[in-house]
Amino acid sequence: MKERVISASFLCKNYHIGDLIIEALKNLDLEVLEGEFVLIYGSSGAGKTTLLNLISGLDKPTSGKIIVFGHDLAAYDENFLATFRSANVGFVFQSYNLISTLTALENVAFPIELAGWPEERVRKRSEKLLKLVGLPHRANHFPTQLSGGEQQRIAFARALANDPSLILVDEPTGNLDLETGLEIVRILEELKTKGKTIVVVTHDERIMQLADRTLHLRDGGIVATDE
Amino acid sequence: MSEVAFPIKDLTRRKLQTSLVIVGLTISTAATVFLTIFGENLGFEIAFVTGGKLTAGFSSIFSRFIIVVDLLNIVAGAVIVSFLVSIMMSERVRDIGVMKATGCLRSTVLSYFLTELSIIVLTSCIIGTICGILANFACIHLLNALGFSIAQKPLNLWMILLIFITFVIISHVFGVRPIVKAIRVKPAEALSPLYSFGTIPELSRYSPSKLGFTFKMAYRSLLRRRLPTQQAIICLAAVLALVSVTIVGGIIANQTTQNYVRRAIGENVVLISYPDVSEQYVNFLSQFFEAKEIGSLNYLNPNYAISETLVSRLSIIPGVQKADPRLILVTMIYEVPGVIIDPERPDDPYTSVGDHRSSSALVLGINPESTISEWLILGRTLNETDLYSALIGDSLAMKSFDSPEVQGFRMLKQNFDIAGVCLDPLDNGDVVYVPFKALSKLVNQTVCNVLLLEIDPSNRSEVLSEIKEVCGTNLKVLELDGILGKHLSFLNLLWSSVMLLPLFSLVNATICLISYMILNITGQQREFGIMRAIGAKPNAVIKMIFTQALIVTLVSGAIGILAGFFVTFVFLIPDPVISYFTIILIVGWLLIALSCLSLSSLYPAVKTVKKSVASTLSQ
Repeated sequence: MKERVISASFLCKNYHIGDLIIEALKNLDLEVLEGEFVLIYGSSGAGKTTLLNLISGLDKPTSGKIIVFGHDLAAYDENFLATFRSANVGFVFQSYNLISTLTALENVAFPIELAGWPEERVRKRSEKLLKLVGLPHRANHFPTQLSGGEQQRIAFARALANDPSLILVDEPTGNLDLETGLEIVRILEELKTKGKTIVVVTHDERIMQLADRTLHLRDGGIVATDE
Repeated sequence: MSEVAFPIKDLTRRKLQTSLVIVGLTISTAATVFLTIFGENLGFEIAFVTGGKLTAGFSSIFSRFIIVVDLLNIVAGAVIVSFLVSIMMSERVRDIGVMKATGCLRSTVLSYFLTELSIIVLTSCIIGTICGILANFACIHLLNALGFSIAQKPLNLWMILLIFITFVIISHVFGVRPIVKAIRVKPAEALSPLYSFGTIPELSRYSPSKLGFTFKMAYRSLLRRRLPTQQAIICLAAVLALVSVTIVGGIIANQTTQNYVRRAIGENVVLISYPDVSEQYVNFLSQFFEAKEIGSLNYLNPNYAISETLVSRLSIIPGVQKADPRLILVTMIYEVPGVIIDPERPDDPYTSVGDHRSSSALVLGINPESTISEWLILGRTLNETDLYSALIGDSLAMKSFDSPEVQGFRMLKQNFDIAGVCLDPLDNGDVVYVPFKALSKLVNQTVCNVLLLEIDPSNRSEVLSEIKEVCGTNLKVLELDGILGKHLSFLNLLWSSVMLLPLFSLVNATICLISYMILNITGQQREFGIMRAIGAKPNAVIKMIFTQALIVTLVSGAIGILAGFFVTFVFLIPDPVISYFTIILIVGWLLIALSCLSLSSLYPAVKTVKKSVASTLSQ
């Protein structure tokens, strides 16, 4: 029997803009099992990125529960959540979010260094990850010197740095050309074979074919599930 | 969009950045205006308190100190203002690129951003000037309530206007630079993130990886944001030079001036003379801290003479280390003009200097080889072979001579050369020291009327009782240490008022660092958010920010403090006295200053990590 990695119940998240309250998620229920590849799609403003933020502990729900690897994330402080993310979650952001003053290699090495690995192992592991995403020759380049596709692949390498069990990916191919998008699909396929639990927000048909389950999100709730 | 509508919308919609820059500029302007008028007030107060007291030499040390601090203060304020404006406009480079890319004319872009710059600069400078004036009033009221006595001098409106105009011009000059630079580059380049905040696409040659992860990250971040880091270092170095001059200069000047007095009066000195002369001598000595009228006395009255036999008997008492017989009197001295040779005027190289001024002065005949006074002398000291040469006090030199080094004076129908000018508290510097033998010949008296004895402090009471026994009941034996103590307390009191300046300079420096850190952190906020999103704990982010501040503070501290020492020793204090205690005091003060500066960065750091990661990333 596979373990439950993510369990969300009655999950709500509101944002306040002046007097206006925007309900990004409304009583959402979700379960993701170990090794499952779940794809989330929906129109802009449906709450997809908010859901990923709550699963990774980047944000806290307004109400409801979100339990990841048995931890009720709303109950923990920032320190615990940072350690939790470092050890269990790899997040690939839509806008890559690479640190501009660090080179590609240093960006990948950052989470490993945070985990306190010795320097030599940090270097070896970072180089290996750069090889995995096909960019060993770009190790010493800064993010601004890389193309969008290359930045996305560096972001993947960084997300895999501490070998997390759960990988969250937000619109990985949205800004990329066809060929680079295929490279990302290849990486996701490889991760799936390795048995990682993957939650991807995308509209990409090629990634949809890899998914065990697709969820359609609209107005902060799941309106359809396809297995 | 009109040339006014765009800038106003742009400024109001960047609320955080606009308010940060306005606050930073306002505070810098306010601090400069405040420190300048407060410094002037303090200088005025010292002149007022010391009216009729303190010698000219000592007064000039105080006024030079306040002038240098004021000048440095204006320079530091201008550097801070230009730094803040430059950062603000650097962040507009990207927008300029966008506007040019969408077809906006160069002239329109220039007028949009110039108007924006002018709105910010004028708003901040006006508010800052008003706040600075109000702070000065408030501070003087507060200090008076706390027991200091500082009178409110009428405001120097010209000085305030000068600071205001200087700041407005400097802000525009430094603010226009990045705008013009951005307008000149191609839109594609201006849009590059490399252009917007001075990030350089180069790897550092040296990566201090052995110093730990936090240091490595902070170091990389600073090094790869070279432009803002350099600006911050220059800015803080200027402020820290100001802090150093006020702290180092204040402490050293205090100790040095105290030392000048201590050396001139001497320690463990006993005054022996007849009661009338003794009272007069003490009055002359007290003029330094207590101006009062001194009556006349016939010092050459035979009843006041101390016999040579008595001097000899007192000199050989065990515990008496030095005997300094003095013949004192008050007489008129007449300035004798001197001649200066000007090699640049070969036709008529000789220029006469001096007038025919006259003044009443206290004249002392001393034996140069046995005097207990070790004055600070400009020129040369007297020696055994001198006959008609003299040392004159600094106040006398100031009021009765134009170039004492080439002039002389006439006294008791005899001309004297001026060997040097000494800093001496006796009669507040209106004093003349001549060789005993010369004065003795002129007044036809071979014995002294005042005897100073330097005694061994370890055996004080026994030596004193023996001196009293030898002197008998007619002569008065008086220890001068009590009067010396009063001199030192008076100087301390003056310096304690002056030392208020470093306190405020330090506050200025702290505000400057906080402004820099807030702008710097705002620029890096997203990156700190990313770090937290991939597992960095809030404490790790705080450590990184703190380390960045520490590196900037230490580097600028090293530059600023060295510059401060240079200004202090070269321009402020001649012949400084630096004891072990002085060094400890200075190091302690500077450490406190640097710690306050570094710790102040914790405020924006803590504020940053309090925001949720998601909201930081969405900015």
